[in-house]
Amino acid sequence: MGRSEDNKLHIVCCVKQVPDTAQVKIDPETNTLMRSGVESICNPYDLVATEAAVQLIERYGGKVTVVSMGPPQAESVLRECLALGAEEAILLSDRAFAGADTLATSYALSQAISLIASNDPVDLVLCGRQAIDGDTGQTGPGLAIRLGYDLFTYVSEIVGVNLDENTITVKREIEGGTEVIEGRLPALLTVELDLTSTRYASLPDMVRALRQAIKSWGANDIGGSPERFGLKGSPTSVKEIFAPPVRKGGLVFDSTEDKDQAIEDFLDTFFEKEMELLVELLGSEGG
Amino acid sequence: MPKNSKGREIAEIIPQKCIACQLCIGQCPVSAIDMDGGIARIDPEACIGCGKCFDICPVEAVTFEKPRKKKMVGIGQKTRPLDDYRGVAVFIETHEERGADVSWELVGEAKELAEKLETRVLGFVLGTGIETVANKAVAHGCDVVYMVDNPLLQTYLSKVYGRILVQLCDQVKPEILLLGATPLGRDLATVVATRLETGLTADCTGLDVDAQNRLLLMTRPTFGGNIMATVLCLNNRPQMSTVRPGVMKMPEIVSNGRGEIRTLDFEAPDEVLPRIIDFIPKAAEVEGEDIAKAAVLVVVGKGACDARHLSMFEELARLMGGTIACSRPVVEAGLLPYMRQVGQTGKTVAPKIYIGVAVSGAVQHLVAMQGAHRIIAINIDSNAPLVQIADYALIGDYLEIVPKLIKGIEARMRSRTG
Amino acid sequence: MKEAFDVAIVGAGPAGISAACILAEAKIKTIVFERGEYPGSKNMSGAVLYGHDLAQILPDYIERNCPVERNIVESRIWYLSREGGYSLGYRDSIFTTDLKYNVFTVLRAKFDRWYAEQARSKGVLIVPSTVVIDLLRNDSGAVVGVVTGRRDGEIRAKVTLLADGINSPLAARTGFRAEPKPEQVALAVKETIELPSEVIEQRFGVSSADGVTIEILGQITEGMDGVAAIYTNRNSLSLAIGANLADFASFKIKPYELVETFKQHPMVAPLISSGKTLEYMAHWLPEGGYDAIPDLYGDGYLIAGDSAMLFNALHREGSNLAMASGKMAAETIVEAIRRDDYSRKGLAGYGERLAESYVIKDLRKYRRLGSFLYHRKEIFNQFPRLASFAGREMLTVNGVSKKQKQKLILNTVRKEISMFRLFRFLWQAWRSIR
Repeated sequence: MGRSEDNKLHIVCCVKQVPDTAQVKIDPETNTLMRSGVESICNPYDLVATEAAVQLIERYGGKVTVVSMGPPQAESVLRECLALGAEEAILLSDRAFAGADTLATSYALSQAISLIASNDPVDLVLCGRQAIDGDTGQTGPGLAIRLGYDLFTYVSEIVGVNLDENTITVKREIEGGTEVIEGRLPALLTVELDLTSTRYASLPDMVRALRQAIKSWGANDIGGSPERFGLKGSPTSVKEIFAPPVRKGGLVFDSTEDKDQAIEDFLDTFFEKEMELLVELLGSEGG
Repeated sequence: MPKNSKGREIAEIIPQKCIACQLCIGQCPVSAIDMDGGIARIDPEACIGCGKCFDICPVEAVTFEKPRKKKMVGIGQKTRPLDDYRGVAVFIETHEERGADVSWELVGEAKELAEKLETRVLGFVLGTGIETVANKAVAHGCDVVYMVDNPLLQTYLSKVYGRILVQLCDQVKPEILLLGATPLGRDLATVVATRLETGLTADCTGLDVDAQNRLLLMTRPTFGGNIMATVLCLNNRPQMSTVRPGVMKMPEIVSNGRGEIRTLDFEAPDEVLPRIIDFIPKAAEVEGEDIAKAAVLVVVGKGACDARHLSMFEELARLMGGTIACSRPVVEAGLLPYMRQVGQTGKTVAPKIYIGVAVSGAVQHLVAMQGAHRIIAINIDSNAPLVQIADYALIGDYLEIVPKLIKGIEARMRSRTG
Repeated sequence: MKEAFDVAIVGAGPAGISAACILAEAKIKTIVFERGEYPGSKNMSGAVLYGHDLAQILPDYIERNCPVERNIVESRIWYLSREGGYSLGYRDSIFTTDLKYNVFTVLRAKFDRWYAEQARSKGVLIVPSTVVIDLLRNDSGAVVGVVTGRRDGEIRAKVTLLADGINSPLAARTGFRAEPKPEQVALAVKETIELPSEVIEQRFGVSSADGVTIEILGQITEGMDGVAAIYTNRNSLSLAIGANLADFASFKIKPYELVETFKQHPMVAPLISSGKTLEYMAHWLPEGGYDAIPDLYGDGYLIAGDSAMLFNALHREGSNLAMASGKMAAETIVEAIRRDDYSRKGLAGYGERLAESYVIKDLRKYRRLGSFLYHRKEIFNQFPRLASFAGREMLTVNGVSKKQKQKLILNTVRKEISMFRLFRFLWQAWRSIR
């Protein structure tokens, strides 16, 4: 994939509208979802990805396109990303996409990005490490495979881009330490939450974002095999949902009245009941 | 059953039960369902009463009373004859020529699953200098270990490992493939699942088997841990899953492990690969401070977020042979770095002893530490969620409790040695 | 920011959005700033709306799928003592036919969002998550725009409409409206209690689209000057109770305790039994009445809605006064733009319109009511107790003759209140609402 002549970056960010998971719960008695007043927000990792993309084009020149697959309401997260400085926004919305798991989602997104790239070559795709509703972290990597881009997950820092050599250098947080790795563009990065903090958009940017027309693409627009979208293209299905098992509380030592006594009681009890554990942890020399 | 104006018996959504998974929308042959304010809604006039939405709904949020049994619906692109696929495979992750703990946990789990399915346990090992790992895999219970040993595999690269694992799956055709939900494992699993166009379920905390249908039942937390979901991969193989470290039991060594080791050739890919410029290991003291590995954690909560007292918590941790960690507000306040954060967006921990100091216990925090063996909560609020699930709760002001705890523990330790 | 607008509106609640809709129809370039994440996130009311007033802004609100909870077919009034009370209701089938949507309940978060979306679809720019921190003024002190808390956040406008509610920090800063005194404000708390729609329909005797409102007075506010209410929504009941802020302070009662006692009252408990509390909110209500209304317009600005203290406590009217005043502000602005005169004189039409309308007329009529209620605490303790005593006595069948019962009741009442006091009370009550 060649770059456009002006040697600037074209970055695509994939963003997702998710329920604010702090509010979503299951009623353990009736096993029903308690959804009253649950607000939708932009997946926090995706906001970081968009901010990182905008910072890159501020550094190297170019533009950022944001894409989201979701229902019509997902427009609001696209506008949030436009306000950060993205230039264009595309909503992938179609009944045919409904019920998609990560395999079908990455397929639809890859079709959309291929279409975007055919008009304006793409250098980089930035995704959040995971979405806070599904928590799988699978869509980004799956997308990289389908597009054939170099994949870099758990990116904690984007060291730099070399436009002449067509390479990117990033830091990844892996087992045991930080890896500094260089790959060729086009590449796909999934970013960590602390890669950067996001800006508070200026008023002109807010207004521009609110006014901007958002393209909407359906299954017919992005081409591909219809049986690989949505439910039909999803190998996994949810059999059932339930409330997480709740640990039961144990012993309580109230120290508000007689502090010393309560603490002594606790230590006595703890050392008595958990002697085996303590020996295992602290060894026979005991400290 | 309710009827529409044309007199046709129709299905209806129970709003309180709908989880907005949109499976019904995808199934409806006449597009009679759409989303209204986050809940599925059936257009009564368009509904033809076929019941497909009722069949596919995973949470019984559809009322439909035609007398017929709920059918198991197969979806997704079918893999070639499922019967071709046999065996429970485990990807053995290696670091510095040693197998990762989670991989052995998975071999142990694989043995149980394989027994119910009356099939074999397979190990996939990639790396360099990994013969000892392959032997250990046999010792832990693998019936067959497939080994690909090559210096080029010393460091993990998605493309390279991904290609090899895909080839192995095509060759060996396991019906199940398990990987540890480590950074490497989750990266690799997605690469493989996408190439094989099969289903992958991430970060599972429970596995079981429907032996009759040869289905893997994968249970995992979603929505930050607020909801548990059991997922199936009905028509695609292998059924893939990444499993959370520390959840499955470590298996015992089988003294007369009679597994065989098969070595496979490695073909270097002819494309340009990413270049690793540097690796900055966590300094030994820092590595020793990896909260996900610590056996004891003293976790600083929002109520104890005070720089003046940090040394006191560190002392308690040191005394117990552990390290300090914290909840998200403490990181946001800038008191401790992100690497110390326990939580959905931080690290999942399962220490032997978790001591929470003024941690209230938001769900996103609880889900990342409720695997701890013993939980001690120190809090002024006896109604705090963490206190409700703690094995031992000390109610009071941490400023007074912690110093006394330190003295008390020291005294008891001295009396045991002295 | 460089771009200027004709009108800047602070607040995307009923007042601000009503004005925006009218302005958009007149093709006037309008921008609305809302401090919440979305319109309605910071708003709370019973919530009851009046179709007539909404129709003045959006005649086709039903065709536009206005999120109506229940169409109210019966209004009840309760006068409660601790163990019981009187109930008076009026139901009419005309409220399901010709006068459908005369009164209906809404959920504010849903309604405000829908309402703002109507304005947006007419071309109004609504900017959420943005606080207006100050007003822009020119050298002569006239308002020429607003300052928001964002970078490059100054925006010029020919006219600014302040519609940012009772708690307006902006009003405090700019001094357009004095900080309300505690006696001029009521603190209200509201609990939304979930119940299946069939249960609600059974308990209130209504069909699936219809509902009931109950306005409540008496000892339910523990002797404080206040009211309570129960409204039916589709799948929930709204329970609201509030009292004068100054009373809360002097009686030292916690709002949460007030709600709990309210829910346990023998006439309330059966209506909410087996229901599940979904949410709990608190809000201020303007109670100062006519005398608390500030200067409603000046050079370059107007004030509408709760921010202008336009609230009729007796008739539970706040949202509709907000809508009406928003509309009148908009009509005034349209005139002003035509004449290119945004001075106090040029905006004087607002004051005139308000004075001519039921808004000011009603508030003037009930001008003394607020003070009357605040100072006559016997309405909230002694009278309900005595009334209940009378009712209990009359309804008890114990062989005592009716005449004796009457005597007993009169004697008991006279012991506490002389006839003279009672007549004076009735005379003052009459005068307060004239």
